[in-house]
Amino acid sequence: MAYAHRAFGARAHTPQYRWRIVGSGGLLLAVVHTMLLRRMNLGEFTPDLYSIFALYLGLFASRQGRYVPCLVLGLIRDFFSLGLLGSYGVLYSLLHKVAGRARGKLDPERIINVFIMALFGTFLVNFGYHGMLVVSGSGIGWTRALYRCASIAVASAPLAVFVYPLMHFGLDKLRVTRLGGFWNI
Amino acid sequence: MRRTPEKLSLGWFLRHPLVATCILLALTIVLPYLRIGERLKLLTFLPLAHAQSDVSETPYEELSEDERVRFDLKIERERTSELALENSRLRDALKQLNGLGRQDPAFAEASMPTAVNAQVIFHGDSSTWRHSCWINRGKEAGIEEGMPVVSGRTLIGRIAMVGDNQACVMLVSDPAFACSCLIIDPDNPAEDSTERVRGILRGDGSAMPHFPRLELEDVAVGAEVGPGMHVVTNDFTGQFPLGLAVGVVREVIPQAGFLEVRIEANLDLSTLEVVQVLQHKRPEIEKQALALMRKK
Repeated sequence: MAYAHRAFGARAHTPQYRWRIVGSGGLLLAVVHTMLLRRMNLGEFTPDLYSIFALYLGLFASRQGRYVPCLVLGLIRDFFSLGLLGSYGVLYSLLHKVAGRARGKLDPERIINVFIMALFGTFLVNFGYHGMLVVSGSGIGWTRALYRCASIAVASAPLAVFVYPLMHFGLDKLRVTRLGGFWNI
Repeated sequence: MRRTPEKLSLGWFLRHPLVATCILLALTIVLPYLRIGERLKLLTFLPLAHAQSDVSETPYEELSEDERVRFDLKIERERTSELALENSRLRDALKQLNGLGRQDPAFAEASMPTAVNAQVIFHGDSSTWRHSCWINRGKEAGIEEGMPVVSGRTLIGRIAMVGDNQACVMLVSDPAFACSCLIIDPDNPAEDSTERVRGILRGDGSAMPHFPRLELEDVAVGAEVGPGMHVVTNDFTGQFPLGLAVGVVREVIPQAGFLEVRIEANLDLSTLEVVQVLQHKRPEIEKQALALMRKK
């Protein structure tokens, strides 16, 4: 009996679709960012979909499905970017920590809270990235960087409000189990 | 109960991925000559470059109708780009004879180095801050790091990473791009080369339609610069040949101690399909120093 209970418990905690979601999501976003968003000519108001996805993992994934998936997502983004390998990897692993803290204070199921968290999350990631650009001698000036980060955050936050319910719906369709508000991915 | 300290092993790094990533990032910053990140990225884009060359290596008869159309289109594009390059060279030669070149011997002597045609295999950059693209030519076609990349006679960027059959181009709008430039009034070119207005071109990583994407820094206060003037590359550092077009001055903003010149690029960099890599090598530093001393 005890053995059966242990086996069931282990199966219940086995992540579902974790790497398929992270891998295919990362590649899909690379295509969307490089082929779709660039051609749409949105300028400074180009949404940062990778950060929204990383924030989703940080807010709604199970304890085991946040840290490493966020980091891997960052590394996928780094592979398709000219920047140093690991820049986004480090930023997204830090983002999951911030998301964890924010989740303790704000309920992520409320739309307004999602908007606020996406606004701050994307702003912090982009500001952090500019910090790395400054370290490598390619900064664009702090005032302009603040404006750009704010523009990207303003463009991304409303999208999060629509994308997060869609992702909930998708995971539900995939029959991923959800315990205490966290998806078992 | 006393805990036994964990040994530093591969397993430990797998359990602490943030530490592993920080070490990777630190290595790419501190030891740039190891080029860990670049090597990994070049491997990522190798299948794309191979996929492109596989199609061209298959005999024409064995290709499907769709592949034949693509192949024909590719050949046509390459031919068109060669013709465009030749056309721009002839136009430049004519321009040099008629106007700018006749008044400025430096421009008259400037010639375009030999060019390698390349096709863009991957547009854009997944980061909202960086601007780059990948091309299907590499070391095997004689391409080296730092070589200028142009479309016709307009500067697009420079080679940032190079593999055997693929290379990454850092576009002029990338924040890490810098290049010495000259501002030329097309109606009234300066007769003396020392009178030309100089500046350093920097991209700011922003994208269309929010111009300016490019800026000239360190332009001296009092320099005669106005909207509509042309910006061309300078061979001051030897990295780029003299006279490659960059863009047109859109706005001049006086700052404390210098002028901020905003430029509108000549090309839309997000829709490039065929580019040319100029086989222009940066002169050795000793030769450069000697040339500068002779000039003085």
